[in-house]
Amino acid sequence: MKTIISLAAVALLVSGCTNYTTKGEFAPNVYDERPKAILVLPPINKSTAADAKEYYITTITEPLSNSGYYVLPTEIVNDILKQEGLFDTETMLAIPLQKFNEYFGADAVLFVTIEKWDTQFLLTSGSVTVMATCELKSTHTGESLWYYDKEVTVNTSGTTGGMGGWAGLISQVVTTAVETATQDYVPLARNANEKILESLPYGLYHAKFDQDRGTKIELKEKK
Amino acid sequence: MKATAGICLLSGLLIGGCVPSKDTTFYWGDYSQTLYDFTKDPTEETLAAHKEQLLLIIKESPNRGKRVPPGVYAEYGYILLKEGKEKEGLGYLNMEMGIYPEALIFITRIKDEYARGKK
Repeated sequence: MKTIISLAAVALLVSGCTNYTTKGEFAPNVYDERPKAILVLPPINKSTAADAKEYYITTITEPLSNSGYYVLPTEIVNDILKQEGLFDTETMLAIPLQKFNEYFGADAVLFVTIEKWDTQFLLTSGSVTVMATCELKSTHTGESLWYYDKEVTVNTSGTTGGMGGWAGLISQVVTTAVETATQDYVPLARNANEKILESLPYGLYHAKFDQDRGTKIELKEKK
Repeated sequence: MKATAGICLLSGLLIGGCVPSKDTTFYWGDYSQTLYDFTKDPTEETLAAHKEQLLLIIKESPNRGKRVPPGVYAEYGYILLKEGKEKEGLGYLNMEMGIYPEALIFITRIKDEYARGKK
């Protein structure tokens, strides 16, 4: 009888709603390759929000660099790509990855498809729900280094999907300053990006570079 | 003595503010906001605001004991080049390479594109 109960307890623990893994297990290729310079391609926008693309691309550099990476300035990269006659991300997907290394010196390229970008703005609070598929690929081996394909919600009221900390800060910043919707949404978009990047190992410029293999991360079932 | 302590306390309060801030790898000021505004609506005003922000980040980073963030020298130099301020612009591009050696190929690319555009 005792055995059955403990087996049931184990089953409950294992099946739970969320699984955990470590960064080391989730993204071993990042630790092997140690990419320094990352090029972020303009995202493919499949959401109904017309401005999702701009929100995404202008708010990714800050959190990605704070994770310790050299992020090539998106504005200049875009200009150069346009000068080369490349306007659509769809066309850029056909470029062999090693070209991004030869041409820009990037060690990895971040590909992003925005599936959903919902913004809600109420009188005293707002929220952004992002569903994006992100994949970091090596320009040296062509291999996938890291990916993300879950939904993230951040809002100004401080109750985020499972995460605290910065949300409270943003809430204060936003609610004390009654500003226009865009001025509220840039920090929200930035924090959605920050959350998306939580499972990415730290890069060279982060104080905890190469010391975060054991960091636990949430692993939800793929949708 | 009392006055000094008071001033210290006051400036501490002013600097620290009431909002708790977390220590990030880099200081980015309002970069995301001004870049968004410029991307969304590229005008002289939004460009000027973004340029001002880049300069603020360049000045403020060392005050906070931080390295100027990736791409900031490059972006500022790139804008100066577009304005025809060649010497100054190239100087900032070189500063980017100075603190980020991995930017060598990228900066060389910007310089090549600039030289090509001049012809």
